[in-house]
Amino acid sequence: MSDEKLIRIFEQMLRIRRFEEGVFELHTAGAFGGHYHLYIGQEATGAAVINALKGIDPIFSTHRNHGHAIARGIEPEAAFAEILGKASGSQGGRGGTFHLADPEVAMPHTSALVGGAVPLAAGAALAAKQNRTGAVAVALFGDGCFEEGVVYETLNLARMWQLPVIFICENNTPGALAKAEGGNNTSNLPDGRVADTPRALKIKTFEVDGSDAIAVSELMVECRKICAEKSQPIFVEAFTERWPGNVYSFPSMVTGMTDFGILNEVGVEKKEHSEWFDKGDPVLTLARVLLKKNLMNFSEITALNKRVIDEINQAKERALAAPEPALESFSEFVLFEEAQS
Amino acid sequence: MTLMSYGEAVVDALYTSMKEDPTVTLIWGSLTGVGGQSPLVAKIKEEFSDRILHPPISEAGMAGIAAGAAMSGLRPILPFGTASFMLRAWDQIVHEAGSVHYMSNGKARAPIVFHGVHGLRGGGGPQHSLSPQAMLWNNPGIEIVLPSSPADARGLLRSAIRSNNPTVVLDHQRLTKVEGDVPEGDFIVPFGRADIKRVGKDITIVAASLQVKAAISAAEELVSEGIDLEVIDLRSLVPLDEETILQSVAKTGRLIVADETPMRCSIASEVIVTVCEKGLDFFKSPPVRINRRHGHIPTNLAMEEHGLPSVQRIVAAAKSLAV
Repeated sequence: MSDEKLIRIFEQMLRIRRFEEGVFELHTAGAFGGHYHLYIGQEATGAAVINALKGIDPIFSTHRNHGHAIARGIEPEAAFAEILGKASGSQGGRGGTFHLADPEVAMPHTSALVGGAVPLAAGAALAAKQNRTGAVAVALFGDGCFEEGVVYETLNLARMWQLPVIFICENNTPGALAKAEGGNNTSNLPDGRVADTPRALKIKTFEVDGSDAIAVSELMVECRKICAEKSQPIFVEAFTERWPGNVYSFPSMVTGMTDFGILNEVGVEKKEHSEWFDKGDPVLTLARVLLKKNLMNFSEITALNKRVIDEINQAKERALAAPEPALESFSEFVLFEEAQS
Repeated sequence: MTLMSYGEAVVDALYTSMKEDPTVTLIWGSLTGVGGQSPLVAKIKEEFSDRILHPPISEAGMAGIAAGAAMSGLRPILPFGTASFMLRAWDQIVHEAGSVHYMSNGKARAPIVFHGVHGLRGGGGPQHSLSPQAMLWNNPGIEIVLPSSPADARGLLRSAIRSNNPTVVLDHQRLTKVEGDVPEGDFIVPFGRADIKRVGKDITIVAASLQVKAAISAAEELVSEGIDLEVIDLRSLVPLDEETILQSVAKTGRLIVADETPMRCSIASEVIVTVCEKGLDFFKSPPVRINRRHGHIPTNLAMEEHGLPSVQRIVAAAKSLAV
């Protein structure tokens, strides 16, 4: 893959990371309520997958959708505003953190129901196939979806009808140890992995280290090609790192805001999270790769970091200042109504 | 006008719609019991074979795929066969197809037709006899259509396929062989317009689907008693034509609703409370609900028949109101 593309993916991952840290700050400040899910630790998968797509390729995501939305092209300001329930949000405040989506950037609908996105993506693939648009549809979902029957039904249907859909399972299940310590399960599957199920249904299946942006990117380019050329479903199980902050129902910033000083072993107390800082964090991992390959030097990384932080902060401030939706609009868009002439 | 059966009219609407719009895609499932006897079935299969998909028994998966396809430029028609099976795809119908237009703030839409054969069918028993229209009505974002005649079946199904909303079309098993004159060509029946199937002055009877037939039979029987029923066929629940109902009750002052769903939170309940809110002064006597009897549907045929709102029950209710 090209150096430019890798740097672009890194920038996207960084943008997602800073966005998610911003979401954490907003929730901590009480700017929005309810529970929510952060994509920290999985940025390499989302950014690399979406970078391999064409603009016409629709994606369907889950309750853990912020990273996908940012990578697909929803502006951080519109995404923040949506999470804050503002009128200027991507969906006018009707979707919120669980449902970030925007058909205008080929992200038609985000289902917060476990497994919900999986058939929708297969459906978009059916539309692409029938209408011969050349698009490939992508479902991004967690391992927990394999506890839902509709996922099995969809895989079988996608195989039967040879739909051009790529199923990306981001397996972020914690290890047995983390579960024993009270970590919330993402799934209770016997092996902690899912790839045998699509294999049993004769779907072309790959497994990849989801924290390795280069590996995911190269695999996805190949998958998109096969999927589009042969019109067949492909399944990818990406093993993503469990961010230590994603332990209980509400995220906690136990690893602190990402500090690139750690690349020089300064400024960050690793405490019990050294494994995360040294190997787990995909953003730091890719930064180390860029340094090692001499694609970016440290000051370039910190300069990019500052630019992204400024951009995200401005987006956050503008979203906070945005107006609430009008309460009278509650019953708008229940049904599509033809424009009255 | 062509004389055809209800089932043939359904198939005719399918053929016409597929002919006029290349994005109409049929997830075939089963049209058995609706239009299997129509010669057009073979023609559809032959002419549009590339737009017919043959699914496994996977209602949730199919409905989710139909929803995703509808969001992406297709107009899928998903026949569940037996409407009871819609429950297996409730999540996809209600939460995915039904919410996307609202949740996207009007940016996305899901033009799907979910089709099912509802109601008592003769031995269907508790798991094959559902009339899901009332429970569907409790969900925003879904249009609900219940034809009662061959002409309405053709005209309403064509509207449903053209609609930009998820639309549930429910046909009754016992109507599929009923014959009637059907307009040809571009004929459609718009949603939200109830049809006065029989003009009368004494009592308004509101019904949908098979119960319209029962109401008309009851009206004919009551002529000899000197009781004149006005029969209103709702045709669509969403949108609901409140105006036609209110105007009729304003005239007659008496209201019966015949409805195959169980009584609590039923079509009858909703229609009556709507008239109470907007036209309580019209009533000369309390309104009457005639619903399916309380209980599941037994497979025993006599028991099943006993559970259905019948011509006899409508006649009896009308007589008691007319006193």
